[in-house]
Amino acid sequence: MKSLILKDFYNISRNTRSMFVILLVFAVVFLPSSGIQNYIFICAILCSMMIITTFSFDEHSNWPLYAMIMPVSKKDIVAGKYAVLFAFSLIGIIFGIIAGTAGNIVAGNFFQMAEDTAAIPLPLMALTALSCSTVFGSISIPLAIQFGAEKGRILVLVSFLIPAGLCYAAYHAFLFLGLDLTENLKTALFYCSPIPAAAWNYMMYKISCFIFTKKDMP
Amino acid sequence: MTDAILQIDHLTKQYPGFLLDDVSFSIPKGTIMGLIGENGAGKSTTIKAALDLIKKDSGSVTFWGQELSSSKHLKEDIGVVFDGINFYETLTPTKAGNISKAAYRQWDERLYLDFLNRFELPANKEIKSFSKGMKTKLCLATALSHAPKLLILDEATSGLDPVMRDDILDVFLEFVQDENHSILMSSHISTDLEKIADYITFIHQGKVLFCKTKDELKYRYGIIRCKTKFFNTVDKSEILACRKDGYQWDILVADKEKAKRRYRDAIVDDVTLDDILLLYVKGDYKE
Repeated sequence: MKSLILKDFYNISRNTRSMFVILLVFAVVFLPSSGIQNYIFICAILCSMMIITTFSFDEHSNWPLYAMIMPVSKKDIVAGKYAVLFAFSLIGIIFGIIAGTAGNIVAGNFFQMAEDTAAIPLPLMALTALSCSTVFGSISIPLAIQFGAEKGRILVLVSFLIPAGLCYAAYHAFLFLGLDLTENLKTALFYCSPIPAAAWNYMMYKISCFIFTKKDMP
Repeated sequence: MTDAILQIDHLTKQYPGFLLDDVSFSIPKGTIMGLIGENGAGKSTTIKAALDLIKKDSGSVTFWGQELSSSKHLKEDIGVVFDGINFYETLTPTKAGNISKAAYRQWDERLYLDFLNRFELPANKEIKSFSKGMKTKLCLATALSHAPKLLILDEATSGLDPVMRDDILDVFLEFVQDENHSILMSSHISTDLEKIADYITFIHQGKVLFCKTKDELKYRYGIIRCKTKFFNTVDKSEILACRKDGYQWDILVADKEKAKRRYRDAIVDDVTLDDILLLYVKGDYKE
């Protein structure tokens, strides 16, 4: 599986510079208005979306055919994609924390940032961003396997709408049940977010494996 | 054939409009098996089904007596080269080597660098700047550097100029100097197979028409070239395949010496694999 991860990182390495430039532009746009917490989310989600680009590279070079002659199984190939997704999200978060902190220092907002992150600490926000970005990204993997990267890229919108819709439904379910979303409850939900995210990602991994196992190599 | 490295038995795969029908053959140790047939005959489908890249409908494929699905580490001993490179074009041979190194336990970095050197491939140049021949050589270097015992080549030499093909054929001949090594090579360039193959399996319309030693085809098979009047006198049971080309009939027979003795007035020529392929594909043949 190491070889599969390495391949994706090599392939994507050319795009990293432009991605980081985009993230820096986003820092200028969003940091003053939305704060570091939202910026970390943006970085994580944008980086997780690069997983679709790796499928595009694979299709262009007919990589899956070659991968299958290497001593890896179809499950390894799918697991490799999820590992890369996790790594991309993590890189986005780390970049978000560093660029966000640096941006706040440069803008003279460091103390404001410290105040903002007092309620929900940065590590917790990072963990939640990781959960969200992998949830968004993980649904795009089975879509890309089934429909190809280009169609998958269009369907990625669906992949973002489904979890967002589920969160929205959950939020309204809370309201319907008369539960007040207090700061404590929010914090508790943030802390719990990796659990449903892990369950969701595992389900998507299983679905991806199922689709890929059924698929013939072109 | 004993000591088979690869054994394919009754392999069947159906697609809409195409049937790979009951394909069977085996590759003994230390030999080169050529898989010939026209485009779309089923050569690549056979290879893909053998490598578990597509699901077979029925039949069995074993490598050293084991099914590929039984152990992924069996793939360590199989090197595969397709027509075209499967590394993304912005990668370099060094990066392609690193990827392969991480995949294969048996990867030999020194051997890989030797191949890059021998094939005059720049280690740090992007693949997109490579010619078709250089890309094939890189694929070959990658396939050979994890010390495989079986090399599977699917149209690997197609699109290469004769000089480049000759270089690559030399590498294949070197590879089978080790008696534990074998090659399965699919190609529609029959001259390549005439140069190096020990056995020829001919696939036509998804069926194996024959699997014979190259020497048998080369030294025993013959073509009777005659006019229609003479054609009518030829014993039809001796005809393997025939084709009318203008006023001339080309008749493929399994024993050219016998044909020479029996039909003294006819011209009996030696055959090439191209002749056989053309007669079977474009002519009539005995099932």
